[in-house]
Amino acid sequence: MTENEFDKLWQRAEAESYSRQLAMEYPAWRQKQRRTFSVVAALLIVVTTTVVLFTTQLRQPRNYEKVYCNRVGTTDVQWANLAAEMLME
Amino acid sequence: MKKLLILLMLLLPIAVMSQSALYKQYASRQELTVAQVSGFKLNDSQRVDVVIVVADDDAGWQKLTKELNIKGENGVVSWLGDTRKPAQRVKWTGAPVLRVVASHTRRTLAFYRVNTEAQYDALLDYQLNNMKQSK
Repeated sequence: MTENEFDKLWQRAEAESYSRQLAMEYPAWRQKQRRTFSVVAALLIVVTTTVVLFTTQLRQPRNYEKVYCNRVGTTDVQWANLAAEMLME
Repeated sequence: MKKLLILLMLLLPIAVMSQSALYKQYASRQELTVAQVSGFKLNDSQRVDVVIVVADDDAGWQKLTKELNIKGENGVVSWLGDTRKPAQRVKWTGAPVLRVVASHTRRTLAFYRVNTEAQYDALLDYQLNNMKQSK
C-alpha cells in the first residue's frame, strides 16, 4: 500500500465514521429541536394573548359585561351609554 | 362547518338562558326595540342588569305608559317596581326590586334590577355622582 492509497483510505474511514455518528445522533437532535420550537411557540402565544387582552381592556374599560338586543343597528356601547344616561335624566 | 354549527347550537341555549324574563317579555313585541345590558357597572364592586325598552313610535309609547300606569307627558318618571309586575309600585324592603326610569322625550324605559342593598346604595350613589358632575 502506497502512502497515497493509505491517505485515501484514512479519509474514507474518517468520513464514514462521521456520517454514522451523525445518523445515530440525528433523531435525538431533531426531537430536541422540535421540543424547543414547541416551547417557544407556546410562550409566544401566551405572551401575545396576555398583552392583547390587557391592552384592549386598559384602552377600553367596559362598563358592561354583555348586551342582548332584539334588533340590529345599535352597538353594545350605545346601549350601555343609554343605561347610564337614563340615570342622569 | 358541521363542528361550527354544533358549537352554535350548544351556545344558543346558554345565551337565551342569560336573557331575563323581563327582556323576553318585551323583546317579542314588534313595536319595541329592547336591549338587556348585563353587568352594568355602577362602581368597582357593584353591577346590575338593565333592560331598556324603546318604543318605535308614539302609539307604542302610549301603550307602554298605559301598561305601566305612567302619569304625565313630559320629563322623567321613576319608581321602584315589583320584579314580576313592574307597573306595581313597591317600597324598598331589601327584597329584589326594579328601579324603573321612564323618559317621555326619549320614549324609553329602563329597568335596573336591584337584588341587594349594596346594589341599591350603589345605584343611588351613581345617580348622585352623575348629578353632581353634570352641574
